Amino acid sequence: MAVNLKRISGGNLSENGRYRRRMLGWLTGVGLVGSGVLSAISNFVFIKPRTTYGQPQRFSIGKPEDFPPGTRMALGAQRIVVIREGNRLAAISTTCTHLGCIVGLDETGFACPCHGSRFDQDGNVTGGPAPKPLPWYKVSLTPNGEIEVDKDTVIQPGSYLSL
Amino acid sequence: MSPNKTSQPSLWKSLVELPRNVWGSIFRNPLPSNDLERSATSFTNFFLHIHPVKVHKHSLRPWYTLGLGLISFFLFVILVVTGILLMFYYVPSTTQAYDRMLDLRGTVAFGMFLRNMHRWSAHGMVAVVFMHMCRVFFTGSYKKPREFNWVLGVILFLLTLFMSFTGYLLPWDQLAFWAITVGTAIAGYAPVIGKDIQFLLMGGTSVGQEALLRFYVLHVAVLPAILTLFIAFHFWRIRKDGGLSRPAEADAIPTLEFPEASTNLEPRRTYGVQGLVRGPLHAAGKVPDNTVFSWPNLFRAELFVFVVTVSAILILALLFNAPLEEPVNVMHPPNPAKAPWYFLGLQEMVSYSAFWGGIGVPGLFVFLLFITPYIDRGTEGVGRWFARERLLANTIFLTFVIVNIVFVIIGTFFRGPNWTFVTPW
Ligand code: HEM
Ligand code: FES
Repeated sequence: MAVNLKRISGGNLSENGRYRRRMLGWLTGVGLVGSGVLSAISNFVFIKPRTTYGQPQRFSIGKPEDFPPGTRMALGAQRIVVIREGNRLAAISTTCTHLGCIVGLDETGFACPCHGSRFDQDGNVTGGPAPKPLPWYKVSLTPNGEIEVDKDTVIQPGSYLSL
Repeated sequence: MSPNKTSQPSLWKSLVELPRNVWGSIFRNPLPSNDLERSATSFTNFFLHIHPVKVHKHSLRPWYTLGLGLISFFLFVILVVTGILLMFYYVPSTTQAYDRMLDLRGTVAFGMFLRNMHRWSAHGMVAVVFMHMCRVFFTGSYKKPREFNWVLGVILFLLTLFMSFTGYLLPWDQLAFWAITVGTAIAGYAPVIGKDIQFLLMGGTSVGQEALLRFYVLHVAVLPAILTLFIAFHFWRIRKDGGLSRPAEADAIPTLEFPEASTNLEPRRTYGVQGLVRGPLHAAGKVPDNTVFSWPNLFRAELFVFVVTVSAILILALLFNAPLEEPVNVMHPPNPAKAPWYFLGLQEMVSYSAFWGGIGVPGLFVFLLFITPYIDRGTEGVGRWFARERLLANTIFLTFVIVNIVFVIIGTFFRGPNWTFVTPW
């Protein structure tokens, strides 16, 4: 059972046979690379979660009476500050627009402990590396008189909810 | 069956010879007493066969490599061993992780000690890998044919940083939480895919249980596996690139500078394929032999570096405890919220601009590191520290190193609450 080396190396194939062999080689290569790419992509699809388990983006924060005029109250877990001036109410994000630390309240507005960004009372950047002002979120009154904040909807800064 | 009297020893004889035969079946060679056995030792022992049979004398000079690559490797080994032990107690859950840290500290036998070892080896590995990169640069060792091993090295450096970044979240203390909040947000600034990367890393929109689990999987399985693969590749390339870099003079006949070079001319390729390293094969015939046997010369040196590395980590772990901050409070970042020291240069840079400091400039640095060997292609001054011929390249790299160190120092000592400038004295 001697092995025919000539046959293995394709030395005596016809023009057609050699062509067929090259095509098969290409197809195998494309198939392997293609499946590799496909499986890599599907792995990423797999690890990209469809549901997230964090804080809800829409939530109620209580009745208007809980926030008397003049209030600036930070709600830590929800990462917002609730502002009430007279009969107007608004919710501003306390997530720093730089890299996501929580900004603290101070006399002039907000200050971030991580890289020193500063914001005025309305959330406009007054210093530091933050690239954008703090977003204002949509606030509405539910039929049963509760205040609902919707963090998925960013509104024009300075637009308050009239109570 | 053909009767063969001599091939079947009696049972009694087998039992008597059992210990010696078992031993002999594992270690095929006796402790070497001649050159043939010395070379056999290197390539019949699984754990030693990664080594060449003979090494160049120049590679054994302690002040040439400073053993830094080896130390990086041994630190990685310590990290794997201590890390696996820590896994017996750790739970990647936001409600349990911190308590497990307290348990390690308070109740588990040697728990605190192992955690200390793991932490100090991790810090050490970042520092030593960086120093190893500096030594490779300043000796011009990334030049042809070692360009690709330098590229592998840069990948190893990035993997090492990513290992420590993922490990940082696991204690689930204040430092962990805020450093990772900031770190993942930096990823979010990368162009096009930034937001997706951030979302994939965190498994959600903020750092929480999903992020902890993901970082755990990356830290204990994915990254160590990739790192192991690349270290193996790195080592294999060292062999295939002809051993460590050395100046051309080191292969010549003895000079004042290399008196140890041998006058004793030997034919090339004496020790078979296993011992062969790439060299001018066309120069057949007799050439000066400047190599020595790996057994015992190289192995003795490696053992020495190993013992020193392990001892240093043991002593550090005895003297200093790994820090553990307050448990996570998602409402209040500590002020200032500082990353570990090796990321403070980055943190200092992002305090000027998130994109440029976190993505643009570091990305440019990494890109420059990758292409260095393909740009700086002169062959002068290879194998010598701070060779005069490489003054320009070395000066540029030194500037890069110093700038990095200065930024780390500013971030570490000169930044106080709200990241304002403070003086440490
Ligand atoms: C996990 C990290 C690393 C490990 C375990 C490692 C290990 C080693 C070892 C054991 C050596 C033998 C010589 C010596 O000890 O210096 C070596 C050589 C080398 N390393 Fe690394 N290394 C790592 C990272 C890097 C990095 C970050 C670079 C550069 C970007 C690099 C580039 C090289 C090059 C080019 C050589 C050959 C040097 C020569 O021929 O003189 N390595 N490495
Ligand atoms: S995260 Fe607020 S300044 Fe960087």
